[in-house]
Amino acid sequence: MSKAEKYAVLGRNYDRFEGHDKVTGSAAYVADVFLPGMLTGRILRSPLPHARIRNIDTSRAEKLRGVKAVVTAEDTIKKGWGVFFPDQYPLSVGKARYVGEEVAAVAAVDRDTAEEALELIDVDWEELPAVFDAEEAMQDGAPLIHEEKENNIALTIDVERGDVDAAFKDSDLVVEETFESVPQWHSAIETIGSVAEYSANGKYTVYMNTQTLFMARMRLATALGVREADVRVIQTAVGGGFGGKSCDDNNAMVAAILARKARRPVKIINTREEEFLAGSRPRVNMKVWVRMGFKSDGRIRAKHMRIIADNGAYSGKAPAITGVAALRHDTCYKYSDVRSEAYLVYTNKIPTGAFRGFGNPSAEFSVEQMMDIAADELGMDPFEMARLNAADEGYVSPHGNRVISCELKQCIDRTERMIGWKEKRAARKPNRGLGMGCTVHVSGKRHFGDYDGSSATIKMNEDGKAFILSGEGETGQGHWTAMCQIAAEELGIPFSDVAISEADTDLTTFCLGNYASRLTYVAGNAVKNAATAVKEILFDTASEMLECDASDLVSRDGFIFVKGAEQRSISVADVVRGRQFRRGGAPVVASGSFDADSVTQDALRYGNESGAYNFGCQAAEVEVDPDTGHVKVIQYAVASDCGTVIYPIGAEGQVEGSIAQGLGYALIEGIRMEEGRPINPNFSDYRLASMRDMPDLVHEFADSYEPTGPFGAKGLGELGMDPVAAIISNAIYDAVGVRITTLPITAEKVLRALQEKKRNGS
Amino acid sequence: MKRELVLNVNGEEHDIEIEPNRLLLEALREDAGLTGTKEGCSIGVCGACSVIVDGRLVSACLTLAVTCEGKKIETIEGLAQDGELHPLQRSFVQYGGFQCGICTPGQIMAAKALLDHNPKPTADQVKEWMSANLCRCTGYYKILESVMAVVEGKVDEGGGDEAVRQARIQSLYQADTYKSGSSDS
Repeated sequence: MSKAEKYAVLGRNYDRFEGHDKVTGSAAYVADVFLPGMLTGRILRSPLPHARIRNIDTSRAEKLRGVKAVVTAEDTIKKGWGVFFPDQYPLSVGKARYVGEEVAAVAAVDRDTAEEALELIDVDWEELPAVFDAEEAMQDGAPLIHEEKENNIALTIDVERGDVDAAFKDSDLVVEETFESVPQWHSAIETIGSVAEYSANGKYTVYMNTQTLFMARMRLATALGVREADVRVIQTAVGGGFGGKSCDDNNAMVAAILARKARRPVKIINTREEEFLAGSRPRVNMKVWVRMGFKSDGRIRAKHMRIIADNGAYSGKAPAITGVAALRHDTCYKYSDVRSEAYLVYTNKIPTGAFRGFGNPSAEFSVEQMMDIAADELGMDPFEMARLNAADEGYVSPHGNRVISCELKQCIDRTERMIGWKEKRAARKPNRGLGMGCTVHVSGKRHFGDYDGSSATIKMNEDGKAFILSGEGETGQGHWTAMCQIAAEELGIPFSDVAISEADTDLTTFCLGNYASRLTYVAGNAVKNAATAVKEILFDTASEMLECDASDLVSRDGFIFVKGAEQRSISVADVVRGRQFRRGGAPVVASGSFDADSVTQDALRYGNESGAYNFGCQAAEVEVDPDTGHVKVIQYAVASDCGTVIYPIGAEGQVEGSIAQGLGYALIEGIRMEEGRPINPNFSDYRLASMRDMPDLVHEFADSYEPTGPFGAKGLGELGMDPVAAIISNAIYDAVGVRITTLPITAEKVLRALQEKKRNGS
Repeated sequence: MKRELVLNVNGEEHDIEIEPNRLLLEALREDAGLTGTKEGCSIGVCGACSVIVDGRLVSACLTLAVTCEGKKIETIEGLAQDGELHPLQRSFVQYGGFQCGICTPGQIMAAKALLDHNPKPTADQVKEWMSANLCRCTGYYKILESVMAVVEGKVDEGGGDEAVRQARIQSLYQADTYKSGSSDS
């Protein structure tokens, strides 16, 4: 906190930029967009997990009164799209590969008519053999989901740094175990939706609740076969993203295709069931085998990891996610000899995709338990072992990640104190246990083209207020507020004198959007640079008006002063007016750019993936009911190193929300699939934690400063989510001596493990 | 067949025409133009569509519009008076009781329904009542804090010192966690 005190605006809480709109119900989400003549779009989805389409007859649907357009792949250019592999189509071409895939769509005057029309579309299906398990899908003779992908393998990673075999021989302790995570749905309270318009001049305007505006435009342009400038994407208020609204789905494309055919605006809002079937792409499910070697003093000597990742039917961002699971965590502890193998495998299920953590939660569920297992075997305190292995400033991971700022050890100390580790371990209570773990995340990641940057434009109004034009967009995390704070700080004007634009591809410069915990760091740097450039213009004009040298000026609280002679001052508003209203007048406007000092990983996945790394340590105290297996989280402690905290309430909110999602992932969330069909696609059966489920949570931010960040800030959004499941499992082991290796950790699993332990007399 | 209906929403009468099978949620959003009430799960478990009808909290996604004729309906749009935010709205802003905001109208209406009946609930009672309103962003900590700040008359103390807020959150959780520890399992 000490570092924040020198700032006028940073590190303080303000009313959230869009707060008034959100508490009065006036914030406009995509479902709140109503355009004249707007139709309701509904999608016909594949009822089969794998089936060839012999024929689609839409004639009966087209004849239904009120139906304005029916579309199939025949209305598209049949061009595949996808971030890494272009294997998806807006509407099925030739065959469907999972239950829920978009096959045809209808636009009609109302929902009932549209739904009736769907029932009148006749699809002649030829059912094909399907495969639902990634390991089965890799076997010779398994049904091929994409004919050109041998053994259904989308991607293989196999990298070795150092000499792993020799390092295992040199280890005093070798432990190995297999872990399995679970697909988790984002379950944003708002489903994915869009409203698309097509105008006679050939331009599409699409209102979307997307996290990644320009990527949405890129994919729409590809799938529609038009130029990027022929698509305008406008971000509405976004009712929760967490990765699920980063445009790996087809909703907006189908709306655009319908709008073009109907020549009227079309709205498609996913139902909750559709969201589970084919909306937000759930977390990639991974089976992770890990072997780790340790020296007797607790130092990590070697690690070998083999991941089988279930991709689902189309690839989306899963290739990048698998890479993160395989390599990222090696930035958390000091490693020399590691080998990571990973196979990303197609199955006939919903495509998987980005979800807060991006592969890291699956990796940490395994590695953070291995650390605990090793500490137990070595008779070491897990906190001591973490401290011994923790990364620090200047560490370069075996894969080339370069750590600049790192307060992991500080986080470890803080967490140990907050959870009361020593005291509670000294006075143990029956069935109570403690677990801990560490985590690392990026602040942006260079993997979508050779760019990991952002840009922003700031224009000054003649009343002295600044307006930021940014295409990054607000997803709910408080990004807009943080950007206004950064601009206000740099410009030397009050927070209330800064506003920020909605994201709109026609009006803002190219931005990658909201993913990889990148906005505060990457966009924050761009906004700060734009503000610096604007300040230069202001000082240039002010120096003429105050008859002094521009280098002698400072700004504070909306005024520009001469250093050392503060009675000589002028308001920012007067400077803006002075520059605008004169012969040859000009606006005060400037853009700023930033591109992180990261590199695109080479073919062997070597290279510094991000400009800055954020670290954390967490611990939990749980109580296990030995009669039922029920796990109650008594207390949870979190210390996060996110550099300078810009917007405290926003930062706290990221931590609290991450832990809630992490606890859900650890203990309750999961979906049951039968033959590729989710059998509980609703909020009644797919349970989310509610207010009464939340444990006592204590958290702190490390005193930290990232030299490359805006005012020392770095990312935070995903960090908290990553290690939670492992920590809960470690605490359960500490409480009752059973090790749970699959998610979610249900009471049933714990009870079964307890009974088995009793039978074995251990 | 559509039928004519008068809905009294936030003290104002709305003449609408609607099929008898239409939901209050649709009537509010599409016919009365009051889009502050949100749809989340469509089956009455998430609370995003919470509104107050004749003093009772209901899910607008499970309520037929025609059953609300002649009743007093309160929605999020009716809370602020003459541009002045309701204390709950102010508190949610002050204490950061929302992030994406999609569940917020429902959260605030649920809290209002509780406080209308019981202006001084305990933190435990608030947790129990508010557990019918799901939020995926906040982990509920700041929602609880926002509601309790209204109960305790501390709305305008929000946004303050981090340590003070942290201590408040802990006091709101700790007490009950231990209390309910044995009964919950």
